[in-house]
Amino acid sequence: MKLVGIELYKLRRKHLFSMVMIFLLVEISWAFVVTARSVSGNSVYAGWKALIAMLSSMNGLFFPVLTAVCVSRICDMEHKGNTRKLLLAMSVKQNRLYAAKYASAAIVMFTAAVLQALAAAAFGITSAFERSVPLFLLFRFLTATIITNMIVAALQQWISMAVKNQAFALTFGMIGGFIGVVADLLPHNVRKVFIWSYYTGLSPVTQFYTGNHVIFSIRDTGSMVPVMTVLIIAGIVVYFAGSFHVSRQEL
Amino acid sequence: MIKRCIWAELMKLRHSRIWMILAVLPVISVLIGCGNYYMNRSVLTKGWYSLWSQVCLFYGEFFLPVLTAILCAYMWRLEHLNKNWNMIMTVPVPAAGIFLAKLAVVGFLLLFVQIFLFILYFLSGRLAGLDPGLPGELPGWLIRGWLASVTIGSFQLVLSMRIRSFAAPVGIGLCAVFIGLGMYVFRLGLFFPHSLLTVGMGVLSQTGLSPGENILFFAMCLFYMVADSIGAIYLLQKSDTMA
Repeated sequence: MKLVGIELYKLRRKHLFSMVMIFLLVEISWAFVVTARSVSGNSVYAGWKALIAMLSSMNGLFFPVLTAVCVSRICDMEHKGNTRKLLLAMSVKQNRLYAAKYASAAIVMFTAAVLQALAAAAFGITSAFERSVPLFLLFRFLTATIITNMIVAALQQWISMAVKNQAFALTFGMIGGFIGVVADLLPHNVRKVFIWSYYTGLSPVTQFYTGNHVIFSIRDTGSMVPVMTVLIIAGIVVYFAGSFHVSRQEL
Repeated sequence: MIKRCIWAELMKLRHSRIWMILAVLPVISVLIGCGNYYMNRSVLTKGWYSLWSQVCLFYGEFFLPVLTAILCAYMWRLEHLNKNWNMIMTVPVPAAGIFLAKLAVVGFLLLFVQIFLFILYFLSGRLAGLDPGLPGELPGWLIRGWLASVTIGSFQLVLSMRIRSFAAPVGIGLCAVFIGLGMYVFRLGLFFPHSLLTVGMGVLSQTGLSPGENILFFAMCLFYMVADSIGAIYLLQKSDTMA
C-alpha cells in the first residue's frame, strides 16, 4: 500500500487524472451525441441499450490507447530519470515495484471506467429514456470494461517496463485500438484471440443489422461468466509473466 | 545549414527501428481492410473504391494521426533525455533549422508510409481479383493524405516539443481526431488539421474535391504548417530551456 501511495504521489504534478478526464470527456461527448441522434431519429432504438452498445464499441478504440498512454506515463518516469537502480538500491523489490505500478495504473483506469458509467447513467436520466436506469445492465457494462482494462493494462505494463522506448508501447496500444474498433468485423474464432475485442465481446448489449435497422439484444449473463473467468486467468498469467520477465532484466 | 540539420536528425534515427513502427500500421490496415472487402464482395461492388474505403476508413480516420503523433514524439525524445536540450540549444544552428529539419524528416517518413500503403493497396487489390486499372483519384488521395498528415505532424511536433512526456501528446492527438471528426460532420472539415486528412484522403467519401476545395485544402495545410512552425521557432528562440 505504501508503494502504491508513493506511485500515486509521483503522479501528483503529471496531470494524469486531468488528461484522463479530457480523454473521457471527448469520448462520452461523441458517444452521447451519436446516441441522442440515433434515439431521436428512430423509435425502435432502445435508449439504454443503444447507449451501452455505443460506449462499448467506442471503448474498443479509446481505452487501449488511453491505457497505453497512462501505463506508459507511469512506467516511463523510471526510464527517464534512470531511477529503477535507485529504487532497488533502497531495497524495493522489483516485483513489488511492478505491482505498485500496476495497482496505480489499475486505479486510474478503474476511476475512468466508473466515471464513464456514472456519466452514462446521468445522460440516460437527463435524456428521459423510457425506462429507469438499468442498474444491472450498467453494472455488467462496468464489469466488462474493468476486466478488459485490467488485462490490457497488464500487457501494456509489460511492454512499457521491458522496452525503454515508449514508442513501441504506444504503437502496441494503437494496434490494440485498431483491433478493438474492427473486432466486430473479424470472424468469431479470430476475434476471441485478441484481448482488445472484449470491450465489445463482453458488452451486455450486442447489436446486429437487419436491413436498415439496428437490433439491440441483451446477452445472457450466464454465458459471459466462463469467458470472464478465462480472461481473468489470462490477465493473471500476463501480469506474472511480465513481472517475472521485468524483475530479471539487467538494469 | 538545413541540410546538415536534416542529416543530423536522420543519424539520430539510425538504429531506432522506427521503420518497424511505421510499417506495421499500413500492413494491419490493408490486411483487415482487404479481408473485410473479400468477405463482403457481394455488398461492396465498387471495386477499387470499395477496397479503398475498407482499407482507409480506420487507417486515415483514427490511426494515421496517432502514428504521426508517435513519430513526432519520437523525434523530440532524445532532446528530452539526458539534459540534451542544453546541448541542442548551444549548437551553432538556428532554431528554425532544428524545427524545420524535424518537420522535413517527419514528412519524409510519412511519405514512405503513404508509398508503402499504396504498394500494399495495389497488391491486395490484385490478389482480391480486381482489374489493374486503379482509380483516377488515387494520386490525389495519396498526395493530399500525405500533405494533411505532415500538417498534423507540424502540430504534433509543437506539442511534443513543449510536453516532456512521450505519451501525453499522443493522447492529445487522439482527442484531436475526434474534434476533427466532429468538424467533418459539421461540414467544417477543411478548417482543422485532423479533418483535413479525412477530406483529403477520401476516407469517408470517395468523391473528388472541386478545384476550389482543392485550393482551400492546400491553403489550409500551408497555413497550419507555417503557423505551427512560426510558433515553435518563436518558442525555441524565446523560452528558457528546461533540461
